[in-house]
Amino acid sequence: MLETLQVNIPSWSDLGYWRPELTLLSTFLVALIGDLIVRGRRPWVPFTLALAGMLLALGFAVADLGEPAHTVMGSLIIVDGIASFFRILFLVAGLATVLFSWTSEEIMGVKREAKGEYYALLTLLTGGMCVMAEARDILMLFLSMELVGLTSYVLAGYMRTSLRSTEAAVKYVIFAAVSSGIMLYGLSLFYGLTGETTFVGIREALFANPPHPYALLVVVVLVLVGMGYKIAAVPFHHWAPDVYEGAPTPVTAIFSVGPKAAGFALMIRFFYTTLVAGPEAAGTSNLLRLVDWPLLIALLSAVTMTYGNLVALRQTNVKRMLAYSSIAHVGYILMGFLLLTSDGLQAILFYLLVYMLMNLGAFLFVVAINNHLRSEELTDYAGLGFRAPWLATMMFVFLISLTGLPPTAGFIGKFFLFKAVLAQEWYWLAILAGLNSVISLFYYMRVTKAMFFTEPAESDGAAAPLAIKPLEYVVLAALCIPTIGLGIWWGPVRDFADQAIARFNVGI
Amino acid sequence: MAIRAYQTLNEMLGLPMSSMLPLAAVGSGVLTHFTTVFIFVLFGIFFAALALGVARLVRPNNPNPNKLTTYECGELPRGSSWVRFNVRFYLIALFFIVFDVEVIFLFPWAVVFKQLFPHPQLGPLVFWEMVLFLAILTVGLAYVWGKGDLDWVKKLIEREPAAGEPAAGESATGELEEVTSR
Amino acid sequence: MEITLTHYLVLATLLFLTGMLGFIVRRNAIVMLMCIELMLCAANIVLAAFSRWHLDLGGHVFVLMSFAVAAAEAAIGLAILVEIYRRRRTVNVDELTTLME
Repeated sequence: MLETLQVNIPSWSDLGYWRPELTLLSTFLVALIGDLIVRGRRPWVPFTLALAGMLLALGFAVADLGEPAHTVMGSLIIVDGIASFFRILFLVAGLATVLFSWTSEEIMGVKREAKGEYYALLTLLTGGMCVMAEARDILMLFLSMELVGLTSYVLAGYMRTSLRSTEAAVKYVIFAAVSSGIMLYGLSLFYGLTGETTFVGIREALFANPPHPYALLVVVVLVLVGMGYKIAAVPFHHWAPDVYEGAPTPVTAIFSVGPKAAGFALMIRFFYTTLVAGPEAAGTSNLLRLVDWPLLIALLSAVTMTYGNLVALRQTNVKRMLAYSSIAHVGYILMGFLLLTSDGLQAILFYLLVYMLMNLGAFLFVVAINNHLRSEELTDYAGLGFRAPWLATMMFVFLISLTGLPPTAGFIGKFFLFKAVLAQEWYWLAILAGLNSVISLFYYMRVTKAMFFTEPAESDGAAAPLAIKPLEYVVLAALCIPTIGLGIWWGPVRDFADQAIARFNVGI
Repeated sequence: MAIRAYQTLNEMLGLPMSSMLPLAAVGSGVLTHFTTVFIFVLFGIFFAALALGVARLVRPNNPNPNKLTTYECGELPRGSSWVRFNVRFYLIALFFIVFDVEVIFLFPWAVVFKQLFPHPQLGPLVFWEMVLFLAILTVGLAYVWGKGDLDWVKKLIEREPAAGEPAAGESATGELEEVTSR
Repeated sequence: MEITLTHYLVLATLLFLTGMLGFIVRRNAIVMLMCIELMLCAANIVLAAFSRWHLDLGGHVFVLMSFAVAAAEAAIGLAILVEIYRRRRTVNVDELTTLME
């Protein structure tokens, strides 16, 4: 008895495996205090602190890549392959957003208040997302989701004087609160069915005495509502277009990749641990058949990608169009969850990484243009190919990658996803996804057409070249080069994903 | 799992399970618990009725419209009582909620602190965890204070004109129809 | 009459459905937030009841945490509503249409 006690008592030494998160969370506090000391007048102080904190955290995350799996804080949290993978993804996205926010007029404009708070909140958001990828207990699952949620509401409403930003925050709060309420109800019933709060405990209890199929189905659907909201899958997507359009564009950029990937990380850990005993054991689980999981996911995926693409077709605001396109991409990624196999998991991880690069790039391009044009309307993008040729070319790369055409990373990502679906013989879903990619070509190419083949409107200075800042070039190039590079030489990243899967721990 | 640890610890220290379970029991001995409550409620109603009934018998009966008006410190009431509260009251209420809820973590901690503190491993952990928790809250309080949001009068003078200005020169991306709303 | 687990679950379900119905029917954002609090309460009742049923403390801890989260969510939600009220003089969600298509 004493021995179990030794294992289970949370100990300070566990925290050594949690350096990146600790760095981020303490950076949040330090940046707040720093902002307070300079009385909010020197935004570079919190900016530098946030940047340094994130770089340090990234360093720790890279250094800890090879570590074996460990639990932290009395086994509420596990740091394993999947966690290390997502940590790096989130930190890169966070870093790019912090850097780009510095150039953004929406964040740093003269009229803005509380610029320091903004950078502090970005580090907290990044920390929260890392915790989401590490939660192995339904309590931590709920808490980390709420941490990310609460931070996001404030960031969405950051432009206090803007009606659109505030309205986005209101819609976000209301939708997020109701779906987290529904999810909490589902989690409480999960706890009721099994009497356990850890994912592993839940699985063991479910396997030992399988519950009534309908009971399990109801509970799984309730939990899926909460996660579906987080990843913005149809029919829980209603908040996404409005929030993405209303929030400041750098914030939208991180919303469209960060919390979404974190939601997928949660789904991976939760469903791969509770419904099957890890990706290797997918075939042996009868819980999947009990709730008819493949059909549930196939329907969710089909509806999500079709809806996202069809509605994106008739958008005239580029930000809103990208919002719908990101909903469509959720549909593609969901295909990987069909049978909870390791092929599917590999495809999901690879696609999430690629999606992070290209979607972040596309949104940051919108930020850069918004700094100069103060507009996100497609008609105002006319002639950008001549006014900012390098930037427009990079946007073109992101767009063909989002469509999934070779030789870009998006093509390879889609290839893995389709391969996983075809291996499981869900042909209609693969065909539907193929058709959807064709539809998406139309609206992505509309942006290209506006940029390269449309003359700018006749007005003062509308044809003058834009003065793009060096930092904007650097960050966009840092996202653009891997987007092409991974399309040609994807081996290392696939191995990186495979290592994460090999060290995915579902047992401790 | 962590919870299991505390349960195991509880058994080690020889404490009964019930000392850790604050809720009324589900399905066992409930009847007696609720009987007590029921009798208590009956007594409450009985004494209130008794006091009012006796008063009704003894007091003089002299109705008068002035007696039915709202009592406002002896003044004549003016205007509707449905007034809008200043929005600052809500701000104070928000801060209160946030800092008030920390108490629900302090209470259970305080209850078990004395038992857990002598334990060689758990003792320091239990103590410093709470210190850390309170320290983080203190940063929050310091931030609110530093930003002047606890300051009633300063906010009145400094913030109001700034908030009233329409954000001029902002753009089509939605910056601000504030003028129309004023 | 014994008060069993079923009674708690029925109470929680009713509370949850009340909150859900209120959320769907009412258009005042503050009332909608209050309905969400009802739904959280329902989940808390389920957790507490099952916690006693399974003789496991996890559920109780979960309830405490979800109290704190609900308070934080309410605080942020109300702060944002105060902000939108200052701009629009309304908290009716049907009238927040700047971002509609």
